[in-house]
Amino acid sequence: MNLSLVDPFILAQDCPDTLTGRLRSGHATSIRFSHRGDLLASGRLDGTVVIFDIETNGIARKLRGHTRQVQSLSWSADDRYLLSASQDWKCVLWDLQDGSRIRTVRFEAPPFIAELHPKNHLLFVVALFEEQPMLVDITDENPIKHTLPSAPRRTQAEKDNATEKQAAQDAKQTSTVTAFTPSGDHIVAGTNKGWLNIIETASRQTMYSVRLTPNIVILIRLTAAGRDMVVNSSDRIIRTVPLPDLTDPNIDFENMRLEVEHKFQDLVNRLSWNHVSFSSTGEYVTASTWMNHDIYVWERGHGSLVKILEGPKEELGAVEWHPHRPFVCAVGVDSGRVYLWSIQTPQRWSALAPDFVEVEENVEYVEKEDEFDIQPIEEIHKRRLEDEDEDVDVLTIEPIKGVAPAQAALEAEGAFRMPVLLDIENSDSEDEVVAIGTGQFRRKSPATGREWMNEEVVGSGDDRKTATTNGTGRPNGTKRRRGE
Amino acid sequence: MQGDDMDMPDTPPSRNGASPTSSPEPIQRRRIPPSPPRNLPERPKELHYRQKLILRGHRGGVSCVKFSPNGRWIASCSADATIKIWDALTGNHEHTLEGHLAGINTISWSPDSRILASGSDDKTIRLWHVSTGKPHPTPFLGHHNTIFSLAISPHGNILVSGSYDEAVFLWDIRSAHPMRSLPAHSDPVGGVDFIRDGTLIVSCSSDGLIRIWDTATGQCLRTIVHEDNPAVTSVRFSPNGKFICAWTLDGAIRLWEYGVGRCVKTYQGHVNKKYSLSGAFGTYSAMSSPPEVRREEDDAMDTEVEGLENVTPIARQSSPSTHKYAFIASGSEDGAIVLWDVSSKEILQRAEGHDGVVLAVDTHPTEPWIVSGGIDRTVRVWRLESSPPGGSEKGKEDIVEKHDVDMVDGIKMEE
Repeated sequence: MNLSLVDPFILAQDCPDTLTGRLRSGHATSIRFSHRGDLLASGRLDGTVVIFDIETNGIARKLRGHTRQVQSLSWSADDRYLLSASQDWKCVLWDLQDGSRIRTVRFEAPPFIAELHPKNHLLFVVALFEEQPMLVDITDENPIKHTLPSAPRRTQAEKDNATEKQAAQDAKQTSTVTAFTPSGDHIVAGTNKGWLNIIETASRQTMYSVRLTPNIVILIRLTAAGRDMVVNSSDRIIRTVPLPDLTDPNIDFENMRLEVEHKFQDLVNRLSWNHVSFSSTGEYVTASTWMNHDIYVWERGHGSLVKILEGPKEELGAVEWHPHRPFVCAVGVDSGRVYLWSIQTPQRWSALAPDFVEVEENVEYVEKEDEFDIQPIEEIHKRRLEDEDEDVDVLTIEPIKGVAPAQAALEAEGAFRMPVLLDIENSDSEDEVVAIGTGQFRRKSPATGREWMNEEVVGSGDDRKTATTNGTGRPNGTKRRRGE
Repeated sequence: MQGDDMDMPDTPPSRNGASPTSSPEPIQRRRIPPSPPRNLPERPKELHYRQKLILRGHRGGVSCVKFSPNGRWIASCSADATIKIWDALTGNHEHTLEGHLAGINTISWSPDSRILASGSDDKTIRLWHVSTGKPHPTPFLGHHNTIFSLAISPHGNILVSGSYDEAVFLWDIRSAHPMRSLPAHSDPVGGVDFIRDGTLIVSCSSDGLIRIWDTATGQCLRTIVHEDNPAVTSVRFSPNGKFICAWTLDGAIRLWEYGVGRCVKTYQGHVNKKYSLSGAFGTYSAMSSPPEVRREEDDAMDTEVEGLENVTPIARQSSPSTHKYAFIASGSEDGAIVLWDVSSKEILQRAEGHDGVVLAVDTHPTEPWIVSGGIDRTVRVWRLESSPPGGSEKGKEDIVEKHDVDMVDGIKMEE
């Protein structure tokens, strides 16, 4: 409701420009905004998931259960559930109402990325290290894992002419990233050979395949509308690809062709990109750079570089754009801090003094006919009160204009809101530094607050079997996805 | 609500914009039909709130009373440095919250009705767990002087406080740390409030200014001042967030359309020269009849036995076709509670009962109930009746007096 009072010039700006803050709790590795945009989930190196409140920049909740670095996070559509995937080979679905673990699913390989179905929080897709991706139904206590194909779809002619070598190659492909389309009807998967597969969720069949890049696909992100996709590949090129309307029931996958719209790269420095994301509308693409401190922002209209966000003196990993504000978050690879960029608004001095107006140039003041007439005070008061004859409506709440229905539903009364917990900071025994007074800090002993580690892992029967084999081995190679 | 009013002039009015003769043509503001269609029953010209409960137990003047957002409780705070929680339906005393070292000026409920915040003369703000009556261990330290007013954001994560030290502080409720201090005023800050979506904060001061702040950036977006510059002691956003209601020491309550910085209504008829009075918006309709109210009370009685988690809003809207009118309720220094119709500025009722200044008035979120607190150390609950009381004898009969536990046990009698 503040928009009516905010300077329209500020509102027109849609790209953040200055480093405005930083958040810290342990060493963050992955971040994700909630759909409403009031919370930021951050996965830490030690496996803890921390929920930050973006309005207060404070910690709203801590979720403990993973024992190794958190790889990816995914929010349910109503922001109540959070799925985390960790290098301890597990995915956990959390209920933010009480912070409990609803489901824990163990895999036989470390997950790269796991994403919740946009409409069903008990269904998710996960891409695994050197394994085929899986669609996991967790409606029941025992998760049902469906393996998804990674091999590209071949036409009958191609199949007939296929050499043994090619067939073997196809079989060897694994998916490195999977993502749902906003309707949840399709899954977009990228493979380690640079193929892009569109898989139908219901039939789990690959409907369409295209080879976008000769190298590994590192990350795929879709806009909220689902009509654009950004693909980061280890060939140092970020590609944006417009998608057809996949919700159209008559879509013809046979004759569909996906064309790359823009290729973003740095030809001079040959930078490779750690992480990419779209802005809220898809108008901008942001990327953090490998071995570099900057965040690049391109606009998609002309495909030009519009801004380089600077500030921190360290390499940045995951970068995320706020769901509806010009606000970018990125994680420092070395320190694990979360850096925030947004627009710094100057104080308008005319707002402080109601008698003042900010004008572009000198304005000649035209005195009104009766402006300085002297009238009895009572007369003025009386007339003033008589003028107040209009009807006022202090009750009717006008609907918010210019806001997507999904967004409006999240803001509606009765929509889920995470309860406010008061004793977060006190229970924060894992942070290495604690405040013991104004401006005084000391390091905490490392052993406190680790009791949860002894808890028994909740999982299905077949999960337990694998627990013995993977419990000790640290998953290797999962962190190195950007190099090659 | 975002994005509207963009067509309104962005600039504040020029120097003499408020003088009646030079004011611009009234902007066409009647986008929504403000008056009900003709076939609806006529708007009642008066309301009959009757005193139902007198809650005794405070040993000092009652400075603030608030219904909880779920409608179950009344919280009252007093100069005796205690807060008392009462059952809104029966008036039974539930808890006495003790811990402040000096008189308490203001209280505010969290949106989930689980936590109560209080601001005191001892310069601290404290949070209380309502279900247990226990204080939260960390007080909010930072203000250099008496805390006059506070409000909790609709999301329950931010607390705003206004103090005699002329500053407005924004606090992270979870960590009890100040997030931001607003260089607000040049005189003590008397009132603060959050808009219904939490994006704006309003503050007022005895320097006569009302300032509107952006919660996210901490910047002042608008300043409202009346020509006569009377000290503003209390402010409240309207339920729809389009107007600000301000209590001033010139014996008036003004309704401001803050988007254009224009006073649209002035309510008079109460006495306010010295004390910081406060009040609330309420609704009434032509169709409220006592049997209906009675039945809803029974419903409330049923839900009462269940745990806090299961409490549903006590009342459902009686009929969707009922047109709701708005009133403003305020205390007065002559011991009355005054109710005005928002649009016509007519006084709907003067409810007499308190002995001395009525400092605080609040309206129930769903029921036609009003709670008031005054310098006479009592908290009184008023309920709407369909007709004026027949005889004064009968009127007196059904007033129930409730005392807190201390009083009943006779351990600490009122001096």
